[in-house]
Amino acid sequence: MAQDCDKPEKNPGESAANPLGVAGRRGVLMLGAVAATSVVTIRPALASTAASVLNCKIPIPDPPHTGQYITQDGKLVAANTKGAVAPPPRPITGEEAKKMINGQSPAGFDPSSREAYVNYIRRLQHGTSGFTCYASLQAPRP
Amino acid sequence: MTSPVYAADPPAARVAVALDALVAVYHRPSGATHLLAAPSPELLDALAAGPADAVTLRDRLAALYDLEGDGTAMIDARMEELIVAGLAWRI
Repeated sequence: MAQDCDKPEKNPGESAANPLGVAGRRGVLMLGAVAATSVVTIRPALASTAASVLNCKIPIPDPPHTGQYITQDGKLVAANTKGAVAPPPRPITGEEAKKMINGQSPAGFDPSSREAYVNYIRRLQHGTSGFTCYASLQAPRP
Repeated sequence: MTSPVYAADPPAARVAVALDALVAVYHRPSGATHLLAAPSPELLDALAAGPADAVTLRDRLAALYDLEGDGTAMIDARMEELIVAGLAWRI
């Protein structure tokens, strides 16, 4: 039985041999081969409650830290810290947070504080008030 | 003309598992899981060095890979998808 048809797969130098556009074993990265979307999100169950997403609230800061200021990169610091911004007058709703993340400034909030608030929201972790709301916002809508 | 500058959470915010041609990425801050095809996982990794526009991202990738295809326009398209998925954002 002839075995010479068993070609080695690796064949460096031959380009355009990677139709799936995946990062090949030769370190070739196809930038233009992926015509369709390259990102599929597996939605967590909580994201299916789309109606409640826009009405959920994100307190800034979370209740244990009421009154603290927020730095531009979203960290909590003592009130009146220079360079930090005052907390918003009321919790931000999911809809407002979504607008802020998209670069808009919803009514009732100081536009110059938007970046600090957005960065605070991005830093939210499990167990912090508002996290679930933020996580819901991150999930694509049906 | 200014090109968009992209940023992503640091790699520690993600858990990535290679599944043959795809990479499953669990994004800790949002609790969401995504399936990514090349070059999206590589783009996310390339942002670990800091925010970058498409040209800078292409240069970072070119340092690691032989790139094939139309560079920056495709990178912008892929980054838009990552933004929609919540894995990256424009600054």
